[in-house]
Amino acid sequence: MTSEFSVEREWHSDRRSPARWIFSHIWRYKVYILGILIGALGNAGGAAVMPLLVGQAFNAVVAQPPDGAALGLIAVLIVLSQIARAILQLGRNFSSEIIGQRIERDARDELYTSLIGKSMSFHDRQSIGDIMARATNDVREVNLLMNPGVNLVVGSAAFLLFPLIIGPRIHPQLIAVPLFYVAAYAVAVAYYLRKLAPATERVRRAFGRMNATLAESIEGIETVKGAAQEGREIARFRGAVDAWRAAAVGQGDVESLYLPSLILGVTMALGLLHSLLLYHAGAINVGDVVAYNGVLMFLQFPTFATQFAYPQVSSGLASARRILELMNAETLLDENKGGYAGEMRGDVTFEHVTFSYGQGERPALQDVTISVKAGQTVAIVGQTGAGKSTLTKMINRIYDVDAGRVCVDGVDVRAWDLDALRRQISTIEQDVFLFSRTIAENIKFGRPDATQAEIEQAAKAAQAHEFILSFKDGYNTIVGERGVTLSGGQRQRIAIARAFLADPRILILDDSTSAIDSATEDLIQQAMFRVAQGRTTFLITHRLSQIRWADLIVVLKQGRVVACGSHDELMRTSKDYRAIFAGDEERPKKTAAQPVVSRANGQVS
Amino acid sequence: MFMGLAAEKYDRQYSDRQLLRRMATYFAPYRGRLIRLTLIILAITAIGLVSPLLIARGIDLVGAQPSVGAIVALCVGLLALSVINWACNLMRRRMTARLIADVIGQMRNDAFRATIHHDMAFFDEFQSGKVIARITNDTQELSQVTVLISDLISQFTILIVLVGVLFTISWPLTLALLVMAPVVVFFGWAFRRVARMVTRSGFRVIAEVNSAIQEAVAGIRVAKTFRQEQAIYDRFRQINRRSYEVNLRRGFVLSNVFPTLNAMAGLGTAVMTYVGGLAAIGGTVSVGAWYLFIISLEQFWFPMTNIASFWSQIQGGLSACERIFALIDAESSVKQIEDPRSKVQKGDAQSSTPNLRLRGEIEFRSVSFRYNEQQQVLRDFSLRIAPGESVALVGHTGAGKSSIIKLITRFYEFQGGQILIDGRDIRTFDLVEYRRQLGLVSQSPFLFNDTVMNNIRYARPDLSDDMVEAVARRIGDGEWVAALPNGLLTQVGERGQHLSMGQRQLVALARVLAQRPPIFILDEATASVDPFTEKQIQAALNLILADSTSILIAHRLSTVKSVDRIIVLDRGRIIEEGDHATLMARGGHYASLYDTYFRHQSADFNAEMYQKLKA
Repeated sequence: MTSEFSVEREWHSDRRSPARWIFSHIWRYKVYILGILIGALGNAGGAAVMPLLVGQAFNAVVAQPPDGAALGLIAVLIVLSQIARAILQLGRNFSSEIIGQRIERDARDELYTSLIGKSMSFHDRQSIGDIMARATNDVREVNLLMNPGVNLVVGSAAFLLFPLIIGPRIHPQLIAVPLFYVAAYAVAVAYYLRKLAPATERVRRAFGRMNATLAESIEGIETVKGAAQEGREIARFRGAVDAWRAAAVGQGDVESLYLPSLILGVTMALGLLHSLLLYHAGAINVGDVVAYNGVLMFLQFPTFATQFAYPQVSSGLASARRILELMNAETLLDENKGGYAGEMRGDVTFEHVTFSYGQGERPALQDVTISVKAGQTVAIVGQTGAGKSTLTKMINRIYDVDAGRVCVDGVDVRAWDLDALRRQISTIEQDVFLFSRTIAENIKFGRPDATQAEIEQAAKAAQAHEFILSFKDGYNTIVGERGVTLSGGQRQRIAIARAFLADPRILILDDSTSAIDSATEDLIQQAMFRVAQGRTTFLITHRLSQIRWADLIVVLKQGRVVACGSHDELMRTSKDYRAIFAGDEERPKKTAAQPVVSRANGQVS
Repeated sequence: MFMGLAAEKYDRQYSDRQLLRRMATYFAPYRGRLIRLTLIILAITAIGLVSPLLIARGIDLVGAQPSVGAIVALCVGLLALSVINWACNLMRRRMTARLIADVIGQMRNDAFRATIHHDMAFFDEFQSGKVIARITNDTQELSQVTVLISDLISQFTILIVLVGVLFTISWPLTLALLVMAPVVVFFGWAFRRVARMVTRSGFRVIAEVNSAIQEAVAGIRVAKTFRQEQAIYDRFRQINRRSYEVNLRRGFVLSNVFPTLNAMAGLGTAVMTYVGGLAAIGGTVSVGAWYLFIISLEQFWFPMTNIASFWSQIQGGLSACERIFALIDAESSVKQIEDPRSKVQKGDAQSSTPNLRLRGEIEFRSVSFRYNEQQQVLRDFSLRIAPGESVALVGHTGAGKSSIIKLITRFYEFQGGQILIDGRDIRTFDLVEYRRQLGLVSQSPFLFNDTVMNNIRYARPDLSDDMVEAVARRIGDGEWVAALPNGLLTQVGERGQHLSMGQRQLVALARVLAQRPPIFILDEATASVDPFTEKQIQAALNLILADSTSILIAHRLSTVKSVDRIIVLDRGRIIEEGDHATLMARGGHYASLYDTYFRHQSADFNAEMYQKLKA
């Protein structure tokens, strides 16, 4: 599979199925697996010794004459065995804890590495909330699958084993009842899990829907109150609560029909009957009866642990499936290593480019042809959904064309080495993402070796220096979630400073932040103008002044180029374009229906 | 996860007695079911006690050389008991599931109904996420309380009956057993405390780590743009490592619980075996009774530790209830008074009286208003807006623009003076009826996760598809509808996120157009939209302004230019009034505000900027 990033590791996981994937992770910790097995057997063994010892004590008491010394010895043995048991159980818990936590760590690492390796088009499609859910909750579920899930399954399986071993040692026939239990138990558990999974899923979905309904009403409360629709929202929520109630009751009903506990009751009665009959026939002694029935009581543990452990395992497997889905998602682009990797000049041409996001969808771009010379600034204008961002995403191959071709410096972008292509193209997105680090670190993100002087120079060029110095800690101010909150205009200027340092040949600037006041607007426009100098710049903009100074303006409408040219040309030739500039500022008042033509047109200073 | 734990200002202390009594009111309608449930629990408990007695009886039989018939009868008895026990458990679970679901559902409905009627001051002050967590998650805790209490009942019964029975068998052995009890109780209690501590501190770190992971995930895009994958991965590894260490430490502490309890129980069993064995040798107790003691130990330790930790476990549930009740009880500051002139029905949305149609005259008479003691926003504020007039409010942040809107919508309570709508005191309206007369568009318009069509008719559910379409087409020849991927049937997504900001504004304005309210209130969005959409927003706005009395907080130049009257506010006072041209000519406060907030939207500025940059 193609990937844009990988790390050297001594281990590889098996991603063919969720179970194999988890197993390949667990298998790396053989020592701890051994710890779990020894601990589980020791724990069950320690528990199994108890009734045997109690049985011995019984024999010592009913012996003629009673053996007091033996009784004392047995009491000491009980204490020793139980302490040993506790230590082994602790070892089992520690081992499974270590495996569980390491799986969580490794799985998250693996997922994260794979995410970094995915193409930009993948990240474009995926919502961050969804990825977050998988990187935190689902990864945690895989941990819980191990501990308590597998830990309890293995631990309780050991308890299943002992009646099977100890029974026949007392008397060969006594294997019958434990065997009956194990067989019936396996069938009943499988049945239970098959019934439970859909019921739990229904509850989860109903709860999610209820939560979403609630969140929507509360977050839109102003709209609800403003439209006086409280009654409707209450009814809507009640509907969601009712659906949840039905699902919860359904799950309760499935859980109540838990057959293993009935089987256990039958087993206990049969066990007592069998052992008493054997005693009656003189085949075993009193101590044996006591010991056997005591050992049968251990079946309680697997009976009740199952109710808890197996659902945990199956939900862990479901989470593993979700994680694998993300990791195994193919990315369509290949790196094209060894492709063209020359120094970029910055000529860009689109030749009859057509592209759509999915089969049967309306094309986002249709037959687009543009030609941009190195160093030119192109303003792309049009309504939302006209294809402005899509157009720019063709250049750095976030998406590949369906038909036609895009060339940079006359070379088809698909023939470029992907790394060389992207390294020389920078994008400033609409929502500028800043890390919770210092401003200086954010600015030099694209060039970690930049000096403080270079950082400040870039910030000055981006008109950001002054506001940065206005913070107490200057360039060392921490921004983002755990620090100072910056306004949209400030974030944008930091992103521009980043671009200055990275110094790409082609710059894509998606700009729809608006300044709240005229002074800031002035600064931002200057910064943008400066960063555009000396490189090919694609500007997605709402700003009329920027549109005006661009060398080339591309007007898009539903994926097609409806007009293309300089400001002056378009004012003459395009009705769509003229509509933006003419009569924009002065809306007809109710009293004066006359449209007023902007004074700006034709003004020369 | 721990969102709901933080205290809010409306939180209050209820005594445990008050809490329990109020919780009881939720269970009261199900009194019959509760009694049946208790009976079943007692039955299960009794069977749990009888079974070991039966087995012990079997052991006793062994000494007496029983007949096969007696053995079979005994085992059939045991079998019957366990079948009954299973059936009882089945019924218990079914009943509990229904009871819990009913009670929680009722509580959620109550909490939601109360919450949605709180005034806007409440929602402005308290984060919606936390309110939501109370309604969904805290109510869920109630199920835990119910289970805990029903467990407590059965375990107490077991213990009391068990100890009673044991006393009649042999009081010295029972005393020996009871002497060991406090030790187990102490351990059970101590472990809960330690576990709670490590869990709490663990969750705090995990929350931190989660937010760091969130950043690492969100940062991938930026890292890719600048080819910094290795750097961001190294950082992620550190965070992931820290998460691993914290979780492992917590896991180790919790791993100790069962081994320790097992060791304790082992010790207890050893003592009972020895002491009891000697007593049996001495003839003080029968061999069967002694055996009964030993197998009773397991039944003894478990409820013992559970009861010891009951109070600390139920605290969580009780404080969850406290949070829910506080949410329900939060007092509204907006209070309506009886209108002496009319007998408008108070209350629900169902009681609609469509005869109310306002003309749209608004008057503030010496109104004073503050959010809190420190912050007086309006003082002796007077303003009259004629029916059909359009007014723009401008001024710096904190001038009182949005306060005026919040008072007209009756989202907040004012402290002095009077607000008259069509000459009638605003406090005398039925709120639901009154708000039907308002068309409201907030700064970031909220859309419901539904189609564009249904969002437009949100305030007028009675409109047909054709009527909605006609409304939408009135705005700029409906070009904006054509730009939507699926026309009016386009799904807008959660909070409208599938639409652009401009499109969301258009939908919100179309909603008002469909509503045709006498009074229109707009808090204009500050984010810019593309020039094409902008033109259509203007077209929509023009249609509404022509119809309604309009109060706008204006951020766009074109808006201030199109209203009848601009009102310049400063610290809660009107300092200038007039239309755009007049005020600009005057060169006063408005002219300077214009320079700060509106100039860059003008064609002059664009031209100027163009020249400046070209130079």
